[in-house]
Amino acid sequence: MARYDPLLAWFRRRLRLVATAGAVGIVLGGIAAVVIAVLDDPTTASTQTFAIGTLAFGFGILGWSGSALAGRSIEGLQRRLDTNSDWTERDSRRAMTRLSGFGAGVMAGVVIVTPLLP
Amino acid sequence: SKRFIAKRLLLLVPVLFGVATVVFAILHLAPGDPARVILGQRAPTQQVVQLRRELGLNDPIWVQYGRFLADTAQLDFGQSYQIAKGSPVWDVLADRLPVTIELAIYGQITAILLGIPLGVLSAVKQDSLTDHVTRIGALTGISVPIFWSGPLVLLVFATFLGWLPTSGRIGSTFFLEDHWVLFGTQLPLTGMVSIDTFILDTGAFVQSILYGEGLGAFASLTEYYASFISAVQHLLLPVLTLGIYSMALLSRMMRSSMLEVIRQDYIRTARAKGQGERITILKHGLRNALIPVITVIGIQFGTLLGGAVLTETVFGIGGIGQLLVAAIGATDYPLVQGTVLVFALLFTLVNLGVDVTYSYLDPRIQQ
Amino acid sequence: MATETSTTADRRGIVERLRASPFLSELLSNRLAIIGLSIILGMVLLGVYARLFLDLGAISQSQLAAHPNKAPPGWLGSAALDQFLFGTDAAARDIFKRVLYGAWLALKFGVLVVGASTVLGISLGIIAAYYGDVVDNVVMRTMDVFLAFPSLLLALALVAIFGAGLSKVVIALTLVYTPRFARVVRGAALKVLEDEYIDATVALGARDPRVLVRHVLPNCLAPITVQSTLNFGLAIIDLAALSFLGFGAQAGTPSWGLMLKNGVSNGLLTGDWWLSFFPGLFLAVTVLGFNLLGDGMRDALDPRMRE
Repeated sequence: MARYDPLLAWFRRRLRLVATAGAVGIVLGGIAAVVIAVLDDPTTASTQTFAIGTLAFGFGILGWSGSALAGRSIEGLQRRLDTNSDWTERDSRRAMTRLSGFGAGVMAGVVIVTPLLP
Repeated sequence: SKRFIAKRLLLLVPVLFGVATVVFAILHLAPGDPARVILGQRAPTQQVVQLRRELGLNDPIWVQYGRFLADTAQLDFGQSYQIAKGSPVWDVLADRLPVTIELAIYGQITAILLGIPLGVLSAVKQDSLTDHVTRIGALTGISVPIFWSGPLVLLVFATFLGWLPTSGRIGSTFFLEDHWVLFGTQLPLTGMVSIDTFILDTGAFVQSILYGEGLGAFASLTEYYASFISAVQHLLLPVLTLGIYSMALLSRMMRSSMLEVIRQDYIRTARAKGQGERITILKHGLRNALIPVITVIGIQFGTLLGGAVLTETVFGIGGIGQLLVAAIGATDYPLVQGTVLVFALLFTLVNLGVDVTYSYLDPRIQQ
Repeated sequence: MATETSTTADRRGIVERLRASPFLSELLSNRLAIIGLSIILGMVLLGVYARLFLDLGAISQSQLAAHPNKAPPGWLGSAALDQFLFGTDAAARDIFKRVLYGAWLALKFGVLVVGASTVLGISLGIIAAYYGDVVDNVVMRTMDVFLAFPSLLLALALVAIFGAGLSKVVIALTLVYTPRFARVVRGAALKVLEDEYIDATVALGARDPRVLVRHVLPNCLAPITVQSTLNFGLAIIDLAALSFLGFGAQAGTPSWGLMLKNGVSNGLLTGDWWLSFFPGLFLAVTVLGFNLLGDGMRDALDPRMRE
């Protein structure tokens, strides 16, 4: 049993990261959709806000997998080309997890709010 | 190490998923109605409305997103709006992709073969005349854009001297088949013209030795390899233009990396032990200096792909670079989407290859 | 009160530091950097001259009624045409005048791109450094992902969203170049934050982004200048490349990229080399100027590169 604990903790940490960012995303996405719907029309609001959400989501996924895939190359490149950089694969992955969680949240927020739009 | 490679390959999935999602977002944020684009500005509104319904553009956007993901997963990128009207994007891409791969691979090889020795030379002879010339040369190489150096070499070697062809991939008198026959079986060709012509020409040549002229065929070797020679002639200028442009960056990196290594202590120790300087540098320095440069090659490949877009435009080579430019110009969104995905795939695959090479070179990684 | 005195002290510090700076003396002793600087100054003079004294209409519109088209440079033979120093193009426009005006356009749009991305980069970098933690991480790592893309391909993708045209290309390239500045500024800002005197000012109740701006900007002026110089050359190339591909300057505009595009489509097969030679020469020399200067500045700034 004890063997699985670190894995569980690992998973829980990631989950918390995604969930926090996702919650922020849902709220912001919902608000943005409503605001744009008032200013413009509901269809545009839903489409544009969702698209921005997918942008953040996709960008986060891309950044996450890119960091995991080419992290070492990028670390080497930055060390050589820049004088002061503290890029690390781990930081990058955490930030990207947040970003994609946020994007997914915005997408979810739009899906929830759209039926309520006038 | 097998697990290492498998893990990296698995990471390709989220990379492509990410790219696809970003592309979806971008295309939906971009202004303009796809139905309008397909039908043209003067089409009646009724037709546009109908097409919008057929394309599913009236569905909620998350439904469109889901459908887009499902299609993309099945390699169905939709149909081209404008450039290759009505034909599936996948077919167009499959047609053009080998052209770009061929150009990029030869270009990258040229860059490595020229850039690394030059960088080493520059570092070993630091502050000598050779070093200064190489450094200024590299700086000039970075400053000269491909869309100037390309036209210039074309003017000199093709238009004025007439040694090499001006554009295209192979002479107009040659007809390329799409398969070749080996012991009665048809095998598909690669689409890379230098490799295809070599295979076809060799086939004809071997056949002639076995069943025709015999060893006398060697006398007319250039005739048998005429199409291969033509293909190489067409490739020469674009490859050199692209390769020299990327070489400049590599040689600069190699120089600074080599200098760093030379200054390190163990080189001094090795030198103190009485080995010849040249051997010391090659044996200890090069291997260690190469490691950081190799990691850079992967990322620099992206710049090379950007250069390929320009090179293809200058030399009239119809690869995916030229396709991307045409697709953006015509707002042919499905085609833009497919091209971008393929670019991302190429870039990732090269970085994967670099990573694997790296893990072999650097023993610390293998644990 | 405390911030007042520290600001004046700092301001005096800049002048003194510049005067005694090893950076400047190092830079001025670098022959290549001086060559680069001269090239840039020369281009600026040519550009300003063109902007003030050349008639944009005459070099944008077709002159087929008045002059022969694709005439070679006058000094190549036919004495009657010696007024066309660089020959004429397919629409009989004087290439020499167009190339001079191109210098103005390249520098103007280069300044726009680099200036805008510097300002954006400074803001983002300072925000990231000041707030730290989550904001820092998300802002900077997003910038990092942008940095991994080759600039031309990223700019092309953005052009696909915004559409073609010089002003849109400027916006696209500004977004492409911003991460490079943000990274430099953030690094410098973090260094300043580590210094104790900021802690002192903050402790005195000046927890205010303005404090950061006052202390950070003077400290990262040098790296920002190096970054701007190096990226200026790249930005000019990318601007020209996008015009070359047909997404930047509109037909008729005397931009170097567009002139090269015309040179390729009109002069390659017929051997009218002057159509593409001169615009490209000016472009390459200008970029080389910025690269020489930027390289010299970087060497002067970063002692690691010296022996």
